Amino acid sequence: MATAVGPRALLTAIAAGAVAVLVLWWHSTLSVSGLGGWLTGAGEILGLLAGYSVIVLVLLMARIRPIERGVGADRLARWHAMGGRYVIGLISGHALTIIWGYAVTAHTNPVSETATLLTTYPDVLMATVAWFLLLGVGLVSARAVRRTMSYETWYYLHFYTYLAIALAFSHQFAVGAAFTGSLVARFWWSALYLIVGSLVVWYRVVVPLHDLTRHQFRVAGVRQESPHTVSIYVQGRYLKELAAEPGQFFRWRFLTRDLWWQSHPYSLSAVPSDELMRITVQGIGDHSAALARLAPGTRVLAEGPFGAFTPVRTGRSILLLAGGVGITPLRAMFAALSGTVTLIYRASTWQDIVFQSELDAIAEARGAIVHYVVGSRQEFGGDPLSATALRQLAPGLHRMDVYLCGPPGMTGSAVAALTQAGVPRRRIHYESFEF
Amino acid sequence: MPASTSAVDVRVRHAEHVMGTVVSFDVPVSARHDGSLADAIGWLHWVDRVFSPYRADSDVSLLARAETTIGACAPEMAEVLAACALIRDLSGGYFTAAPGGQFDPSGYVKGWAVERAAALLSRAGSADHLVNGGGDVQCAGGRAAGEPWRIGIADPLRSGRLALVVSARDCAVATSGTAERGPHILDPHTGQPASGLASLTIIGPSLALADAYATAAFAMGPARARDWTASLDGYAAFAITAAGDTWHTPGFTRHITE
Amino acid sequence: MRRAILAVIATAAGLVALLSFKTHSAERTVATPEPSASLPPGERSITGDVANTAYGPVQVQVVVATSKIVKVNVLEQPSSTEHDLQIGQFAFPKLISETLSMQSARIDSVSGATYTSGGYIKSLQSALDNGA
Repeated sequence: MATAVGPRALLTAIAAGAVAVLVLWWHSTLSVSGLGGWLTGAGEILGLLAGYSVIVLVLLMARIRPIERGVGADRLARWHAMGGRYVIGLISGHALTIIWGYAVTAHTNPVSETATLLTTYPDVLMATVAWFLLLGVGLVSARAVRRTMSYETWYYLHFYTYLAIALAFSHQFAVGAAFTGSLVARFWWSALYLIVGSLVVWYRVVVPLHDLTRHQFRVAGVRQESPHTVSIYVQGRYLKELAAEPGQFFRWRFLTRDLWWQSHPYSLSAVPSDELMRITVQGIGDHSAALARLAPGTRVLAEGPFGAFTPVRTGRSILLLAGGVGITPLRAMFAALSGTVTLIYRASTWQDIVFQSELDAIAEARGAIVHYVVGSRQEFGGDPLSATALRQLAPGLHRMDVYLCGPPGMTGSAVAALTQAGVPRRRIHYESFEF
Repeated sequence: MPASTSAVDVRVRHAEHVMGTVVSFDVPVSARHDGSLADAIGWLHWVDRVFSPYRADSDVSLLARAETTIGACAPEMAEVLAACALIRDLSGGYFTAAPGGQFDPSGYVKGWAVERAAALLSRAGSADHLVNGGGDVQCAGGRAAGEPWRIGIADPLRSGRLALVVSARDCAVATSGTAERGPHILDPHTGQPASGLASLTIIGPSLALADAYATAAFAMGPARARDWTASLDGYAAFAITAAGDTWHTPGFTRHITE
Repeated sequence: MRRAILAVIATAAGLVALLSFKTHSAERTVATPEPSASLPPGERSITGDVANTAYGPVQVQVVVATSKIVKVNVLEQPSSTEHDLQIGQFAFPKLISETLSMQSARIDSVSGATYTSGGYIKSLQSALDNGA
């Protein structure tokens, strides 16, 4: 199995870095006194933490394979979103306390002090532009605003964060008390930024391009599984080197004139061979329609594999619980797992069920059980995946390892039901598809 | 600076922030009473309003943007431009009213403005006064009791120290150099910062000319500057090279005190 | 929302803890100016304006005896970071001795490359001009 950095290890490393940053402030400050001193000191701490946190956020999104493998893309995205909100708070707090603190020390009012800072202090104007850029990106990322725009628009607006980081960097050295007097501090800070930047370039540019040339991904064919679901077969060479595990996904960029600028994550819906991979996409929008029309031979830029949602061999019986499009990774797992496996496949209508013949064939070959739970809640007269229902469908549930995949609402209630049915939290594995 | 007990000899100092620098006055107290100090200060502010390249609405900026004509400007503008043209020819193009291609006669205007300010004080009756416009000095008479003014030349290589002290009576001392603002003087022929000299001081009757000559000579570099300044009639030069060596033209010798 | 409030409180608490640990030693060096009354006869002190520099305020007091500077006191200098103290220890004595040597030449004015402003120099200039 590839090296993986788990969530606890990652959080520990991040915390250690934050402590190091605080130690840097500690060493560069001899004393703090008076309101002006306190405000300025607070501003310096907030600024240092902000400069550090910003690079941590970039690191989380750098698609570093061991981290993606150990923590999982969905969790990294959630941490990044939470961290982003906190960082904007840090930066805003930094700016305001510095302005106020300097104003108090210089016995002027905050407005004229702001003007002084902007016009006479080196690089502060650029840093202020960076602050507003990040405020803008933060605003645009708020769920209410993000809903009004396409994913691609939001994605490309988000790139302004790189510009903001570049603009703000120089003022840290030019005016930051912790840096102006210490070459060592400047060296290590620069090294941190350089290393993370290099990782970003390596994992987001170099590795995918290398994979493209090495594996020669191309669309082999497209098959309509159901009215709203299409499977895309991608061929290539030496695919075994990718070491993709069932349950993992790739980020796919189909290199056609209309689709090249978009990248979407789709799970492998079958165990890959050395020449062929399959993904299954469900959707009603323009993108899915365009995918259905992909011509064989189309080049594909496939980035991956990603995802921590893979089966861990424990010797226990396994329950796979799929809701709607969540069947995709579980279909791959279903084919790959040995031992006693039960699959529960929940869908609203029979039209939404895909791979039925494959699933039945796998079940028969392996002696596994498939339960199709199809229908609306009204038809069932309640939640068909309640704790009681689950216990009936999968006897001995509380001793099983459960792998769960589906839309957020379904996963949420399923986790609650499973816990109620006696499955310990650590044996419930799931991946939430909301990025 | 001398605080004498005689009422007649009481002197007054004043520092005025104008033209992007500080202009210091050392005048008899009568200049304050009869308003000539105020007139001189007002004159400097007027020059600032009309000639400052940093004010978007000054005549210099308007001319630079070709939004007005010389005829529409104050008559002093034509006078300044004519003087700049003469000095440009005299210096072989090393003095220019358009450094870097942008119209900006500041190399002449500052010295000219300070010289005129000192002249205002003379016309009002002051026999001994000194006006220092950001490092360029025009003086009349001496400091007191027949003694000449003592003017220190800043050491461009060691901030806060003096390289030389000169005695001056009824003349101007102008210095061009890199000490305060770095290599801001460009060689008009190459467009690159002039190098070779750390500072160059010109002493002579008129600050307007001394200032322009110092700027031109500095831009020429050590080799040309020495010969050229020696050829100037009534003006002498003292230079400090980037390496710390000094040279001066023959006319400068009598001014050197220590 | 609750997480946000928790984050704000935790950060503020952390800041307060860190800052209060550093409040024990003496503040920025503020020397008391020598009042004119305590000086020997013939000497008086002139205090320059507070010049606000990027690292804090700087203020200089000049003691003058019959128009000659005999002493320069730095009243206020930034000293809250290691860097500030380094500057203070190195720069101020040097500047003070420079001032005295300039002064001992009994000059009336200085000709040099055009200056704009700078914290200490501006303060000395204003002290000299104020002393007239």
